[in-house]
Amino acid sequence: MKEITAIIRRDKLHETKKILDELGYPSVSIQSVDGRGKQRGAVCDNDLDPELPDKYCTCVKLTPTPSTYALEHSLPKVALFVPKRMLTMVVPDDVVSKIVKSIIKVNRTGKTGDGKIFISPVESALRVRTGEKDGEAIS
Amino acid sequence: MKMIRAFIRPEKEQEVVLALEGAGFPSLTKMPVFGRGKQKGLQVGPVHYDELPKTLIMMVINDDDMKKVITIITDKAKTGFVGDGKIFVSPVETAYTVRTGEAVL
Repeated sequence: MKEITAIIRRDKLHETKKILDELGYPSVSIQSVDGRGKQRGAVCDNDLDPELPDKYCTCVKLTPTPSTYALEHSLPKVALFVPKRMLTMVVPDDVVSKIVKSIIKVNRTGKTGDGKIFISPVESALRVRTGEKDGEAIS
Repeated sequence: MKMIRAFIRPEKEQEVVLALEGAGFPSLTKMPVFGRGKQKGLQVGPVHYDELPKTLIMMVINDDDMKKVITIITDKAKTGFVGDGKIFVSPVETAYTVRTGEAVL
């Protein structure tokens, strides 16, 4: 069993869920997270994510977030974050590459901010309702 | 590669992030979480807080950088009082960049 953690754009969530349905692995946990990558969150073009408010950089500084705290406490600068969606799913070993390939195919735009996918091992799984273990629990 | 999950005080988040950025680890994901620890929350007079707000910082780094990153996080997030948080490290086998499709961190 492997755990796939994919951090993707918010507006690609629907398409990603659709392709996971088609592959036959619809079980997924979705969480709203904030992230930053090599660009340190300095992403100001909102062409690719229509949900981002206009002038995102300005918004971050104005809303009462930890950033405001940083300004008040005269930290050297403010750390910027970009809103993302995090998908977590546990799948059998043999389908990992297939799922990763389809997630990449759907989410790829070629511009920075497309996201990352991490694969980590999972030792065991348990379905709470029936008590089934490992392979049966995630099928 | 290792995945580091650090549960820290929300007010220390900016300091930790900026310190990590300064040391050359700008990439991370954060999310607000609620939790409790050994002390079963917090008792202030008659009021009992069962779960307290924390920030979860998640980052994936190369094995060699693990000690350095953990030192930075502990340095910046430490106040010496209960509720400073925990750091968990777990293995990651592969990391893909969606933009290029390559299996590099």
